[in-house]
Amino acid sequence: MKIINNLMYSFKKYKFLLSQLVSRDFKVKYKRSVLGIVWSLLYPILTMSVMALVFTNMFKMRTPGVNYLVYLMSGLVMFNYFSEASNLAMSSVVGNFSLINKVYIPKYIFPLSKCLFVGINFLLTLIPLYALIFITGTGVNIYHLLLPYAFLCLFLFTVGMGFILSTISVFLRDMFYIYGVVITLWTYLTPIMYDFATMMIPENLLVIFKLNPLYWFIKFARDIILYGAVPELNVWIYCGVCAIVSLFIGMFVFKKNQDKFIYYV
Amino acid sequence: MEKKEIMIEVNDVSMRFNLGIDKGFSLKQGFVDLFKKEKKKKNKNEFWALKDVDFKVQKGEVIGFIGSNGAGKSTLLKVVAGVMKPTKGNVDAYGNICPMIELGAGFDPQLTARENIYLNGAVMGYSKELIDSKFEEIVEFSELQEFLDVPVQNFSSGMVARLAFSVATIVEPEILIVDEILSVGDIAFQSKSEAKMLSMINGGTTVLYVSHSLESIKKLCTKVVWIEHGVVQKIGGVDICDEYVKYMQR
Repeated sequence: MKIINNLMYSFKKYKFLLSQLVSRDFKVKYKRSVLGIVWSLLYPILTMSVMALVFTNMFKMRTPGVNYLVYLMSGLVMFNYFSEASNLAMSSVVGNFSLINKVYIPKYIFPLSKCLFVGINFLLTLIPLYALIFITGTGVNIYHLLLPYAFLCLFLFTVGMGFILSTISVFLRDMFYIYGVVITLWTYLTPIMYDFATMMIPENLLVIFKLNPLYWFIKFARDIILYGAVPELNVWIYCGVCAIVSLFIGMFVFKKNQDKFIYYV
Repeated sequence: MEKKEIMIEVNDVSMRFNLGIDKGFSLKQGFVDLFKKEKKKKNKNEFWALKDVDFKVQKGEVIGFIGSNGAGKSTLLKVVAGVMKPTKGNVDAYGNICPMIELGAGFDPQLTARENIYLNGAVMGYSKELIDSKFEEIVEFSELQEFLDVPVQNFSSGMVARLAFSVATIVEPEILIVDEILSVGDIAFQSKSEAKMLSMINGGTTVLYVSHSLESIKKLCTKVVWIEHGVVQKIGGVDICDEYVKYMQR
């Protein structure tokens, strides 16, 4: 209880700093670009178009029964959130060393602010996603109101990963390179541009593929967006468990090591 | 002597640094070390930046810290400010601390002065309402009215320091930690910032002050702590400064 009380107190005290860090990232990101924030909308459309061209023409990728563009885009925006937020969170502690070394600030605020910043960007990318949903005639249904659950789980999972990665990268700078490779591998292991059903993956290998938490978050969203169905109970549970477990491991690892950061950065 | 309220208690604080830690361990280095013939002795690289430092600070005292470069003065202030956790011992501070250890650390060079006032204020733990209400005062004190919407990366170092000092001193903190910052800015701003410090001291703020200018230590401080090699040599009145000068001239 005491821990939760302390956490609430520091949250209240540093709420303004958190919002300042997030808005700083926004201002800096689009400074001196002509289109500015429009890039947040344009970028996912353009990357999706490139991928759609490559995968439908060269690899003849198909998703029977549903629109491939919506299939691709829904996976892409969620995966991109994870990949960008976890990457930024990883370098946030090392990158803010000049501050950590001079003023007392709770250090968790740096990875958290990155996850929030990319999170706002993520909400903007929902605009092109929904535009696509309407244009392709996929349409919306009442179950779309359940989507925030998947987004919340994705966010908490990413925050947890951000805590773990930022801790490791303080002690082991090689992590920046290692994680770059891991993310590339992760992109292909997650069914973003393909569907497990059409890939003829052997049953025993499929079990391993399904250990991937991102698969479940994306599946949850696709069940609703593409198939107009409420996700099954086990999908709800998998999503929730992955989010909570990642968050708690991340908090534990970060808290345990944060006092040592100052000697290593 | 009347009994005064104790603001800071530094209890047997020791701080150990491991000089062997080379800014982040890398896999390659670890691999190379595996095949190195001479194994480095671990204890050789240990370095005590502070050793059994113990003192109390009463409300309203202005304590000056003197000592040669690398004596541990800044480390001590960082421990008091809560930036570092001591290896042994502990520090109790009763009151809000305003650390002015390196001004402008919280600035983002790409943002304008206006944006940085809010960012840096937030870093110091101020609320939005407070900064809003003190905004005019900050700008006026820094004398940077014309440059409010210029990115800080285009500022001169003196201008950055002026802005940072103005943001840092808008609230009257109970404990002020000052590390060698009054030498910033031009002469006019120096005397202005010194006057601001004096008015804070008169207002009852407790100050921990590190400086190599013995003149300003003698002028401002009520008590002096002399540290050498992480060990407190002497605690006493400003006359310790003269002993310190003798020691340095040997």
